[in-house]
Amino acid sequence: MISVKNVYKYFGKDQEIKVLTGASCEIKRGEKVVIIGPSGSGKSTMLRCMNLLEEPTYGEVWLEDKLLTPADPYLHFDVIRASETYKKMLAENGSDEAVIAEIKEKDLLRKHEGKEYAKALKAVEDQYRIDINLARQRMGMVFQHFNLFNNLTVIQNLMLAPVQLKLMTKEEAEQKAVQLLDRIGLLDKRDEYPSKLSGGQKQRVAIIRALAMNPQVMLFDEPTSALDPEMVGEVLELMKELANEGMTMVVVTHEMGFAREVADRVLFMCDGVIAEEAAPEEFFSNPKNPRLRQFLQAIL
Amino acid sequence: MNAFEIFYRQLIEYGGYKTVLIGLKNTALIAVFGLLIGLVLGCLLATCKILPRTNRIVRILSSVVDVYVAIFRGTPMVVQLLLVHYVIFPAVGLDISSIAEAVLAFGLNSAAYVSEIIRGGILSIDIGQTEAGRALGLNYGKTMIKIVLPQAIKNVIPTLGNEFIALLKETSVVSFIAVVDITKSFQNIANSTYEYIVPYIVLALVYLVVVLAVTGLIKLVERRLRASDKR
Repeated sequence: MISVKNVYKYFGKDQEIKVLTGASCEIKRGEKVVIIGPSGSGKSTMLRCMNLLEEPTYGEVWLEDKLLTPADPYLHFDVIRASETYKKMLAENGSDEAVIAEIKEKDLLRKHEGKEYAKALKAVEDQYRIDINLARQRMGMVFQHFNLFNNLTVIQNLMLAPVQLKLMTKEEAEQKAVQLLDRIGLLDKRDEYPSKLSGGQKQRVAIIRALAMNPQVMLFDEPTSALDPEMVGEVLELMKELANEGMTMVVVTHEMGFAREVADRVLFMCDGVIAEEAAPEEFFSNPKNPRLRQFLQAIL
Repeated sequence: MNAFEIFYRQLIEYGGYKTVLIGLKNTALIAVFGLLIGLVLGCLLATCKILPRTNRIVRILSSVVDVYVAIFRGTPMVVQLLLVHYVIFPAVGLDISSIAEAVLAFGLNSAAYVSEIIRGGILSIDIGQTEAGRALGLNYGKTMIKIVLPQAIKNVIPTLGNEFIALLKETSVVSFIAVVDITKSFQNIANSTYEYIVPYIVLALVYLVVVLAVTGLIKLVERRLRASDKR
């Protein structure tokens, strides 16, 4: 469903803050993946790279067979082979495999590499790349701070995107919105502004706002971290319902109980890479990575 | 005859009120159209500053706006008015009425301030609002128009009101280019009677009443726009 391939993300004026340093993962259709890790380990950044709210510095993100980022030359052998550097090095020492490995390792492709190389790179993008706005329509996102549109009522929040993007008529969108509001028991709040809702209500509305687009995958960025403790339950409950309905979910969270109960797979991020991944049973009872062991000891 | 009677006679019996009405009309014209030009142009300028600086055209436009704002905020309004009237229009060879020149000068000046006000308003909106819009698949323009701008405008109404009031009062300098505004009309009365106290006190009261009326209007607009954040 989503493939993150060797993604690097640097921040700062001189790219001196290296948040992701070669993270890769693969989310399958229907799978529920929970990402945990210490703060600053890059888990939110990786999630935000999945729908390109952060643009990776290097690496690629795919949604099924569509490329969302610019093509990364190091991930395409034919592109590397089309470069001047490759040709020169091949003539010098011969082995295709060794040359490609050396180019990758030493990062030799970031300068002008000739017409053929540019053409090969463009060919990849022409074939696979899709408009990010189209891709985002298929990926719902839920934020830590809800980010409901403050200038719109609850029902307008739910209807805005489907109607603006001409995916539904006003009537269809309203019908869908009412149905979703009814499902979370907030139909009586349909004409309230977000400022009148409690934190838990806001987050549940934010979740169904994403659902109103009929997404194929839902991304959750610490959905319960900004909530009062007594409101965490209602949000997790809704997320569990979604999981049971077979929604593909990627969840960054600190809720270990949720991870244990719902996840098919748990990823541990540390220092900008995925340091360990396993089914929850294995992950929590038999952690291998020493950093993960330390982390679990600290929180459990 | 006391000072008040002198003023009354000049205003009513000798027809001074006609000039006052013309002055009032001119002040209103310059303030309202000046603000309109300021709003429209100011929004455009703010857009140039707020667009993501990813392509070269945006970066160039943004620098142009910086220069524009620096010039119009850095020189006095009167000087700009004189330049428009005595330098720019004669140089271009266009002959338009002094009132139109004043409208243009005040519009251009106001745009510089309005652009910064609008830009500040947009920056005051949490980036999460934009992210939520973009994450749903809305493009940059739609996210701005449907989500960010409505909230930004609501936030800047008080500051824009300030700007309008300042503009309104500053129109009192248009007599420098021989436009009869409300100040000039009272000045005429004072000059022809050699009696200054009453006309200038009344002039101050006229400005006060107009500004209070405008303030009331701004409050009304603000209250309507604030419907969404009853807390």
